[in-house]
Amino acid sequence: MPGPLVILYIFLGTTIVLLLAILARPSVTITRGGKILAFMGFFVLPVFCGLWGASEHFERSKQTSFCLSCHIMEPWGQSLHIDDANHIPAAHFQNHRIPTDEACYTCHTDYAMYGTIRVKLHGLKHVYMQYLGTPMNPIRLYEPFDNATCLHCHSGARSFENDVHLAMVDQLKSNQLSCISSGCHDVVHNVSTLNQFKPWSPKE
Amino acid sequence: MSLDKIGHPRLFRLSGILLVIGLLTEAISLRWVHPLAFMGFIIVGGAFLSAGVLLFLYSLVSFGPTPDSRDPGAN
Repeated sequence: MPGPLVILYIFLGTTIVLLLAILARPSVTITRGGKILAFMGFFVLPVFCGLWGASEHFERSKQTSFCLSCHIMEPWGQSLHIDDANHIPAAHFQNHRIPTDEACYTCHTDYAMYGTIRVKLHGLKHVYMQYLGTPMNPIRLYEPFDNATCLHCHSGARSFENDVHLAMVDQLKSNQLSCISSGCHDVVHNVSTLNQFKPWSPKE
Repeated sequence: MSLDKIGHPRLFRLSGILLVIGLLTEAISLRWVHPLAFMGFIIVGGAFLSAGVLLFLYSLVSFGPTPDSRDPGAN
């Protein structure tokens, strides 16, 4: 069975052919059926294809390969593949604690109602800075990392519910204390030290 | 009752061309998983598609029935 992208391409091709046919013979729109066909070709199908295309692009923009397609992000991609169990992103990526095909998005979205829209707007800012402005050097987050992203998965998990975490859970939930603060889980995307570690790759 | 061709002919043709360009832009942009493909679709493809659809709708409302197409029994 063809995938969604193939079906979208079929719709795009059909719409283009229909438009060209009507443009070549506008007289078909004299009949009532021709008018309905023109309305389908000039309004219904293009709007449908446009919305489907936008949805497809938005889904793609969650992919790890999308984020790492910019040259400037290469070290951050490499930091997912180093052989160091203390390196938080690498440990999450290599142990499939996050979906590996949406690794960046999973940890760098916020899970609020408009979180996806906010990260897309940040993404547009990234693109603007990359091609029309001056990218940050070194790259850093716009805002401190939100503990809610960690707690979205870890809160309630058996491995999280130990005495250390439970003693500070209110501070963690209110972001008074960061999960990635010094002395806790503080080895996060340390791209300047990547060459000190062996690279890891899956065996299959 | 006779029927006219749909919309204003020139605007109708122009909207069709804009839509074809927009749809081709969309088809091309979907070949890559890259921020520029995303931006190309949103800015270029979106602009052509929106302009094409709006122009088509405008061509419908801006082109009234010609006198000879009116129902002779009316009025």
